[in-house]
Amino acid sequence: MLKIYISSIKVFLKTLKKKLFSNLFNTIITLLIILFISVACFNTFEWLISQANWKVVISNLPLYAFGSYPPNEQWRPATWIISLLLLSIFTLCGPEWKWLRKNLLIIWVGTIPLGLYLLYGGFGLSPIMSRHWGGLTLTILLTVCSSLLSLPFGIVLALCRQSSLPLIQKLSSIYIDAMRAIPLIAVLFFGQLLIPLFLPVGIEIDRVWRAIFAFTLFVSAYIAEDIRGGLQSIPNTQIEAANSLGLNQYQIIQFILIPQALRIALPALTNQSIGLFQNTSLMAILGLVELLGVGRSILANPEFIGQYIEVYVWLACVYWMVCTIMAILARHLEQRMTINQANF
Amino acid sequence: MNINQRIFLQFGICIIIFGLIGILINNLTINLVRTGLGFNFSWLFKPASFALAEHPLPYTSSDSYVWALFIGWLNSLKVIFSSLILATFLGTLIGFARTGKNSLLGLISAGYITIIRQTPLLLQLMFWYFVGFLGLKDNMFIQIKNIFNISNQGIEFSGLTFSSEFLALLLGLSIFTSAYIAEVIRGGILSVSRGQWEAFRSLGLSERQGLIRIVIPQALPAIIPGLTSQYLNLAKNSTLAIAVGYSDIYAINDTIINQTGRSIECFIILLVSFLILNLLITNTMEIINRLILKSRKYS
Repeated sequence: MLKIYISSIKVFLKTLKKKLFSNLFNTIITLLIILFISVACFNTFEWLISQANWKVVISNLPLYAFGSYPPNEQWRPATWIISLLLLSIFTLCGPEWKWLRKNLLIIWVGTIPLGLYLLYGGFGLSPIMSRHWGGLTLTILLTVCSSLLSLPFGIVLALCRQSSLPLIQKLSSIYIDAMRAIPLIAVLFFGQLLIPLFLPVGIEIDRVWRAIFAFTLFVSAYIAEDIRGGLQSIPNTQIEAANSLGLNQYQIIQFILIPQALRIALPALTNQSIGLFQNTSLMAILGLVELLGVGRSILANPEFIGQYIEVYVWLACVYWMVCTIMAILARHLEQRMTINQANF
Repeated sequence: MNINQRIFLQFGICIIIFGLIGILINNLTINLVRTGLGFNFSWLFKPASFALAEHPLPYTSSDSYVWALFIGWLNSLKVIFSSLILATFLGTLIGFARTGKNSLLGLISAGYITIIRQTPLLLQLMFWYFVGFLGLKDNMFIQIKNIFNISNQGIEFSGLTFSSEFLALLLGLSIFTSAYIAEVIRGGILSVSRGQWEAFRSLGLSERQGLIRIVIPQALPAIIPGLTSQYLNLAKNSTLAIAVGYSDIYAINDTIINQTGRSIECFIILLVSFLILNLLITNTMEIINRLILKSRKYS
C-alpha cells in the first residue's frame, strides 16, 4: 500500500518537473508566478479581512436583490428567484424520471408567467408598478424574457435568410447585418427614447417592456446568425430524404431542419444568453435600476461614498456566480442533447 | 410552390412590412409635429455651446455641432485603435500562455480569461475608472522628475497627457477584449494538427522557430476571421465610454439630444457613423486576410 503511494508521488513529481521546471526559462517563469500568486493572495486576504468595510454590502442586501420593491411584498420576487434556483439544482441533480424530464422544459418556460404574476400582482396580490422593480430580480427578468422572445424571432429570421424567395431573403439579411453593425447601447437607446415617438398618441409601453423589446430586436439578429450556421451544416441528404418521404415544406422545416439546427447551434445560443445577462447591465446607463444600477445608486448615497471597491467586487461576484450557474446548466443541456442523439 | 404563389407571397409580405413602416413613420411625423421639432438637419451648423474635455483638434464651445460630432468621431477612433493594438498584444500573449507548456501559466491565463469573460464590461470599465484612476491621490502617485506622472488626472509622459477617462476606457476595453482574443488565438493554434508540431520537432527546429515558421502561419487563416469579429465587438463596445465620461461619438450624440431634443436625427447620425466604422474595420481586415493568403501561396 505504502509502495503504491510513494510511486504515485514519484510520478506526480516527475510530471511536475516536466511541466514546470523543464528548463531554466520555464523554472524562472514558474517561480515568478508562484511569487506573484502568493503576494496577490496575501494582499487580497489582508484586504478582505482587515481593510474592506462590508457594511455597504450587508446592510443593502435586499436592495441588491429586489431594488425598491415595497419591503412587505419582497417575498414575491424572493419566491421567484428561489424557485428558479431550486429548479436549476433540481435539473442538475434531480431524479431521472422520464415523464418529469420530458416536462422540464415546460416547467422552465412556466417560470416566466409565474415571475411576471408575482412581480405585477393582481388576482389576490396587491398590484405593483414596474418602476418599483429592480436589482437582481429585474436583471434576471430582462434576461429571461428577452432570450425567450428572441428565440422564435431569430429562428424566423434565419429561415427567411435561407429562403429561396429573393425579396424575403434580402430584407432579412439587411435587418440582420444592420443590427449586427450597431452597438447594443444604440438599440437600447432607441428602445427607451425613440419607441415612444413611433407609437400613436396616447399609447404607452412601460420602460421595462421597452427594454425587453430592444434586447429582443438586438439579440434575435445574433441568434439568427447562429441558427443559420446550424441550418447550413445540415447535409442536403436530410432534405432529400424528407422529400422522398413525402413531407411538405412546412413539415420539413418543423420536424427536420429546426430540431437539428437548434441542436447544432445550442452552444452558441447558450453563450448568447450568458452575454445577454451581462449586457443587461447597460440599462444602468439608461435609467433602469437593475443590479449595476443599484450599485450606482448605493455609491451615490453619502453614507457609502467612496466605497467603490467593495461594491464592485461584490457585484462582480454576483454576476460571476449567475453566469457560472447558467454555464453549468448549458453544459448539462448539451450533454443531454448528445445522449438523445445517441439513442436514435 | 409554383411561380405565381411565390410572387404573391413575396408581395404580400412586402406590403405588410412597408405598411407597418408607413404606419410607424406616420406616427413619428404626427409626434414630431406635435412636439414642434420637425425633422431637419439645419441645426447641425449652429454653435454647440458645450465644452469637451478631450479634443485632438482645436475645439471651442462656439464651434458648430458638426465639428463637435467630428471631434467625437476622432475620439472614438483614437480609443478604438489604441485599445485594438493593446488588446491584440495582450490577447496574443495570454493565448500563447494558455497553450504553452508551463501548466501553471496555463492555469493562470485560464483563470484570467474566465474572470474577465464572466463579468460585464460596464462593471469592469467603472472599476478601472473609479477605483483604478480616481482612487489615486491628487498627484505624485508616481513621479519621476516631471517626465512620467500618474495621478487621478491621468498620465503625463514628457509633454503628452492622457486623461484618466481615456486611460480607464483603454485599459478596460483592452483587457476585456484580450480575454476573447486569447481564446481566438488558442483556437487557431489548436487548429494546427499535432503532426505539424511533431514534424518540425523531428526536423530539428527549436520550439520558437517552429512556432514562428510552422505553426503561426498555418494558424493565421483560422485566427483572422475570429479576430475581425472581436475588433468589431471592440468598436461597438467603445460606446460604453459614456459610463466613464469620455466624449466619444455616442456620448456627444447623447449630449446633443439632451440639449436640442433632436433624437431621430442624432440616432441616424450615430447609425451612419457606425456603419462607416464597421466598413473600415472589415475592409482593413479583408485586405490583411488577402495579404496573408497571398504570402502563403508564394512562399
